[in-house]
Amino acid sequence: MTAIEVRGLTRRYSGGFEAVRNVSFDVERGEMFALLGTNGAGKTSTVEVVEGLSRPAEGTVRVLGHDPFSERRLVRPRVGVMLQEGGFPPDLTVSEATGMWAGTLTSPRPVDEALSLVDLTHRASVRVKQLSGGERRRLDLALALLGKPEVLFLDEPTTGLDPESRRNTWKLIRALLLEGVTVLLTTHYLEEAQALADRLAIMHRGRIVAQGTVSEVVDAYPARISFVPPEGVPLPVVVEAEVSGRVTVRTNNLQESLHELLSWAHANGVVLSGLDARSASLEEAFLAIAEEAA
Amino acid sequence: MRAVAVGKAELKLFWRNRTALFNSLVLPLLLVPLLISVDLDGRALVVGVIGFVLLMAVYYNLVTTFVARREELVLKRLRVGELTDPEILLGASLPSVVVGLGQTALFAVIIGAMTDVALPARPWFLLAGVAGGVVVFVLLAAASSAFTRTVEMAQVTSLPVLMACMLGSGLVIPLSALPEQVASVLEFLPLTPVLDLLRAGWEDGPVLRPMLVLAVWTGLGTYAVRRWFRWDPRR
Repeated sequence: MTAIEVRGLTRRYSGGFEAVRNVSFDVERGEMFALLGTNGAGKTSTVEVVEGLSRPAEGTVRVLGHDPFSERRLVRPRVGVMLQEGGFPPDLTVSEATGMWAGTLTSPRPVDEALSLVDLTHRASVRVKQLSGGERRRLDLALALLGKPEVLFLDEPTTGLDPESRRNTWKLIRALLLEGVTVLLTTHYLEEAQALADRLAIMHRGRIVAQGTVSEVVDAYPARISFVPPEGVPLPVVVEAEVSGRVTVRTNNLQESLHELLSWAHANGVVLSGLDARSASLEEAFLAIAEEAA
Repeated sequence: MRAVAVGKAELKLFWRNRTALFNSLVLPLLLVPLLISVDLDGRALVVGVIGFVLLMAVYYNLVTTFVARREELVLKRLRVGELTDPEILLGASLPSVVVGLGQTALFAVIIGAMTDVALPARPWFLLAGVAGGVVVFVLLAAASSAFTRTVEMAQVTSLPVLMACMLGSGLVIPLSALPEQVASVLEFLPLTPVLDLLRAGWEDGPVLRPMLVLAVWTGLGTYAVRRWFRWDPRR
């Protein structure tokens, strides 16, 4: 079943600037879909429309079968939203801010439970203005989870978090996915998408330029073999780059090229020191896409 | 009512905000002896103080509240929750309205007792005036906040409404002291019909026209809020 359906979404700002152009994607129930892109690619502009904050200029959006803008009343009780920059009155304490939010929801979790999910229990009586940036992000996440949402929107949820908090947040998100929560994530941490997302789309200048599972997106980009070659022996492969004696070879068929190289080395009794072979990473694919599109 | 959750949080914030506390609790209190020394007519005093409360505790306070919550991105956050837009505005206005109504009652009783004002013969007109005034000034505050970039700027952007109402609605200068043509134009200011209705609680006076004028201001205010109210900061 489809949780989020976006068709031909275009968003235009009052000056006529098209922030999002003809974007389409589906997110299945219980799946995590990540929207990646350079700054200003249109990720947040897209997500804001899916959240129902604004009406699309063109195209349609369905969340759990409803229009999130005109049927806000039906959609909101079932979704949780963590904005890229959400606000809390600075003079409320953490538990007061959470309690206020709980009072606006149909069936909220207990405040203590929400705070313990994000490890903020020990900060419950601290004023929001005294929280660190990372703690504020976690409070934002607690509020997004407070209504036990079926669909969760996370706009850069781990920006400003220290490595430990980031790992804990990932663990929490994985647990939610196992419970069947659907997640639409935007992030500029590629390893975050690689670690968590079932499928992803890369946006550039308002358009989706690549879409699929991590391996589908990455497989379109060449793998890399690097080593320090023996001196005075002609290599059987085309060298792409050489940095301080170390050569790099790119290939679209890693297994075949590696086999060829290793057989040659074996037959000739040659040592390839520091041998390293790897598929393209999401980061490489991303950089290549950004470069191509530029 | 879900908006009450926001209202309760706003009340806590109000209590923690010294400027707002001073503006709405202390300032009108300082005004009472001043007014009593100028004017000995108790009824006019009660009416005048209610007018000041509507302007300061309700209108001015709410302009700053709406701007502060917008700039803190609180309104934006509330808008991704379950509350409807009117519920959010209602919740945010609740403390100022409650404090305003409390002051109105308190001052009316204090001044009434000090100057021997008779109980109003037609209290429903008094209530209609207060209720209509609250609605109109909440809407005007929301509309004004749309043209106010920072909390500090509220001192400037609220001036047109504040000055027009203080000078033009008979709070400082009685309308009867002005040329008839000027007075008949000033009847269309948002505070004038409120004061007319308050006076009608005690004495014969226009009732239908002030109610109509208030209804028109409510309509205009609603339109302005729907058209211009900003939920997130200009960036």
